[in-house]
Amino acid sequence: MKQIVNVQDVSRSYPLNHSRTRNLVCALSHLYLQVEAGEFLAISGPSGSGKTTLLNLIGCIDQPTSGRISIGGDDASSLSPGHLTALRREKIGFVFQTFNLIPVFTAAENVEYPLLIQGMSSQERRIRVAEALESVGLTARAHHRPDLLSGGERQRVAVARAIVHRPVLVLADEPTANLDTHNATQLIDLMRGLNQRLGLTFLFSTHDQRLLEHTPRIVRLTDGAIESDSHADAASFQPPAIDPFPLAQNQMA
Amino acid sequence: MGKFLLLAFRNVFRNRRRTLMTLLMVGGGVVGLLMSGGFFAFMIDGLREHTIREGLGHLQVFTAEHLKRDEVRVLDTGIPNWRQVAATIQAGPHVRGVAPRIDFYGMVSNGAKSSVFMGSAVDPVAENSLGFTPRLTSGRDIGPKASGETEALIGAGLARSMNVKVGDGLTVLAVTSDGALNGVDVDIAGIVKTGYDEMDARYLRISLASAQRLLQSDRVTNLVVGLDDTANTDVAAAALAPKLQGLQQPMVLKKWIDLATYYLQVRNMFSGIFLFLGLIVFFMVLMASVNTLLMAMFERTREIGTMLAMGTPRAWIVALFMLEAILTGSLGALVGVLGGNLLGTLVNLSGLHMPPPPGLTVPISFHVLHIPALMVGSSFIVVFSLALASIVPAIRASRLPIAEALAHV
Repeated sequence: MKQIVNVQDVSRSYPLNHSRTRNLVCALSHLYLQVEAGEFLAISGPSGSGKTTLLNLIGCIDQPTSGRISIGGDDASSLSPGHLTALRREKIGFVFQTFNLIPVFTAAENVEYPLLIQGMSSQERRIRVAEALESVGLTARAHHRPDLLSGGERQRVAVARAIVHRPVLVLADEPTANLDTHNATQLIDLMRGLNQRLGLTFLFSTHDQRLLEHTPRIVRLTDGAIESDSHADAASFQPPAIDPFPLAQNQMA
Repeated sequence: MGKFLLLAFRNVFRNRRRTLMTLLMVGGGVVGLLMSGGFFAFMIDGLREHTIREGLGHLQVFTAEHLKRDEVRVLDTGIPNWRQVAATIQAGPHVRGVAPRIDFYGMVSNGAKSSVFMGSAVDPVAENSLGFTPRLTSGRDIGPKASGETEALIGAGLARSMNVKVGDGLTVLAVTSDGALNGVDVDIAGIVKTGYDEMDARYLRISLASAQRLLQSDRVTNLVVGLDDTANTDVAAAALAPKLQGLQQPMVLKKWIDLATYYLQVRNMFSGIFLFLGLIVFFMVLMASVNTLLMAMFERTREIGTMLAMGTPRAWIVALFMLEAILTGSLGALVGVLGGNLLGTLVNLSGLHMPPPPGLTVPISFHVLHIPALMVGSSFIVVFSLALASIVPAIRASRLPIAEALAHV
């Protein structure tokens, strides 16, 4: 299996009260983590355990205080800001807790945005956007703006946006935290379905038990350190029955 | 690029009330500039044509000697063969007519009181043909040719100080070209206002024949040339200059702009005032826009963080904010141009007048010219101002730490 993420002895400290030198708060401490292609991995832990910090570091939107992080073979620690931007643009997809869609763009335009900044041709963009929206079951809502979509639909648009440019890694920070049970279940099914159908690597932070039940590998963080890294045996892992195309087929029906 | 422009355009209208206020502010600035600039242009254009029609003419011809030194005796630098020169000029392109003039000075007396005057001797027929008509407050212009040889127009101030009226007689005294003292009796045909109080107190106008008899000379000081249109001044001057080279005496051709000192002073003054107004509008828009754009940036912190997280180059964020500012400025300028032209038209239709400014004696019509260059210039000022105002918010937005921006509430 190809290694997608390699976190080597990473620590992250923040100055307290904007102080540069004193009163450092340690968010992550000497952390090691490897993620292989096609994994569906949850980072779990109580609030303040360092889940979001770890995702930010793996997503190259923050820099570790020490240690190294490689994404898809690129050593992020040694890349310039410009190269880090390119790495995020090409290799990583993001799903946020609060959806973070561009409010003045339609669902289709939001999904198109990652392709736009990659400089892809409009014809190619159209095809990819249609595929991505279909895969999340939102073809019919393509021309609706986010304020006309439900929370669940918005998060599905965010997922479509995260996968449309075919990244090697999708990072999702508490993706079900703002969703009700029905929408959360749909989103979990969707993400797991995409993981299984397209082989996309998902890495997400959560303490949502519904999501954890579908997760073959769970890394538990406590006080910035890995408390446990539980791999379910592929043979013994029996996730609740999921439909790999739950929304697309519903829509077709 | 199209989508990027679309994003900027939609962002402009994201907060409609704030955008409306910004457009009104920017548009108001443009309206202010168009109204003041249009009025100033009307004043300057009016002053230009007034200066020309009042007697300056479009071109004036002098002997080269006249421009080199002051006269020792009256008309010693004048044009001796002026009829030949006038005929040469008359044949030139765009020339409507040529009027000979004599500038002189002396004393005027009513028998009981004397006063100095600044005289202008004219050919009434030539003057009238060029539309150079004096602004009479009473009486009439001096008669043509022979009938006008014993008539004079005097300024309202001079008439008041000499206690004379239309129909009264005056003796005009001056030093002849030989240095002797001479005098002619004239009847006051009319009283005029030049528009300037100082000039009205000294002004005397008699016929060319009277002046030549008084000054004992058949020369004239200069020839005033009237053209069909002020816009043809340069063309006519270029065509006439070579023709004047071949004459017996070296002659010099002057355009109206070279002689209209007062016009130039007024124009420079209005240009200065307009520049000042432009700077006020520029800084007003700049300061108000910086605040608005910083507010917009603050509100969109998380969105900017998301865009940066997805790999949007930081330069794109700068470009997006500047593009939004330029679009806002352009729309504001459009609002201002439409509003300014509408308001200008209403003002022009209203027939408003302003009280006479210091030094002038007649009220000024409040009229606003619609000048395309002014519209473009005013629009550029506000668009540039907004673009400048967007630099700080744009750079701040592009430099947001992504993780912090995503956590922004």
